[in-house]
Amino acid sequence: MSKNKKVTLAKTKKVDFEREIMGKIASGQITMKPRWYFILGSLMMILGLISSTVIATFLINLTAFVLRKKGFGYGKLDMVLANFPIWIPIVAVLGIGLGIFFLRKYDFSYRKNFLVIVIGFIISLIIAGLAIDKLGLNDVWSQRGGMRRFYQNLEGRENLPEGFERMGSQSGRWSRGLPGAK
Amino acid sequence: MKDISKLPDEDIVNLVRGKDKELFSLIIKRYQEKLLRYADYLIGDEHKAADVVQESFIKAYINLNGFDVKKKFSSWMYRIVHNAAIDAVNKNKKQIPLSEKTDFDSGVNLEDELIKKELKINAQLCLQQIPVIYREPLTLYFLEEKTYEEIGDILRMPMGTVGTRINRAKILMKKICQKTKK
Repeated sequence: MSKNKKVTLAKTKKVDFEREIMGKIASGQITMKPRWYFILGSLMMILGLISSTVIATFLINLTAFVLRKKGFGYGKLDMVLANFPIWIPIVAVLGIGLGIFFLRKYDFSYRKNFLVIVIGFIISLIIAGLAIDKLGLNDVWSQRGGMRRFYQNLEGRENLPEGFERMGSQSGRWSRGLPGAK
Repeated sequence: MKDISKLPDEDIVNLVRGKDKELFSLIIKRYQEKLLRYADYLIGDEHKAADVVQESFIKAYINLNGFDVKKKFSSWMYRIVHNAAIDAVNKNKKQIPLSEKTDFDSGVNLEDELIKKELKINAQLCLQQIPVIYREPLTLYFLEEKTYEEIGDILRMPMGTVGTRINRAKILMKKICQKTKK
């Protein structure tokens, strides 16, 4: 491509761009998105980040609580898996993923090393989740308040079939037909 | 009008957002050639580059209320063109991607003036042979004379990465240009 050709093209396009675009603007073919659209977008992003962070933290804390209550018990992994509310860690991971997605949308994220931001974010969530459990808030919430029933369900204290006891003990299910049971 | 034409981009954007839509033509006048040149270097096809620039001006106008006037308008505008150009490049799949892991000795000190001369003489030929991830920062730095910070804003990457890529691009450019000469 010659240099001259390029200059000519640039000059031609100069006229075209202006005429075409300004024509479309004047005729109303293209219009600016209103300011509220962008404000709403920013608000949604902030809300998304906050809610995904809160949900992920809470669910990490809940995972720690359930593990503490039901235990890892040697040789009881299949029992743990059978009764563990597996949706909790799954939703927690989804919450973390969503949080990272929202973090990526922020301007500062590309100025810094994003991997460090992501690792920092995940570590903070895990620490916060474990800290809530350590502080004993789960025990308080499982004893009283609006979350009591939810916690009791998680612990297996309610809504269990007849003869089905808490995990970790010789449960009804365990003694009623699983291999080796009498 | 004479005074208005001397206003910085950000002030003109404010006026366009206010009520004076016609002033958007000033923005087009200021940027069309630069953007056309930039898109052409990225895409390697002046007609497609022209389409990309036109589409970018329209996108910029539609989303003008989303621009933060505290930031640099030129970086925002280049970013829009960059996105559209990359989409066009991906559609065409013309370039052969080079692994980001490909490493070069970034300690090599090359004379910028030599690179500038090389670029001007044989720019298009050499540039088209460089992977797009190196072509972008090199074009912005040498041809558009943007700072590392501005390039970081346009390409959404930390300044350190910009520096590394420019160094690698310089080495690649030198190798390719020398081969092309022979």
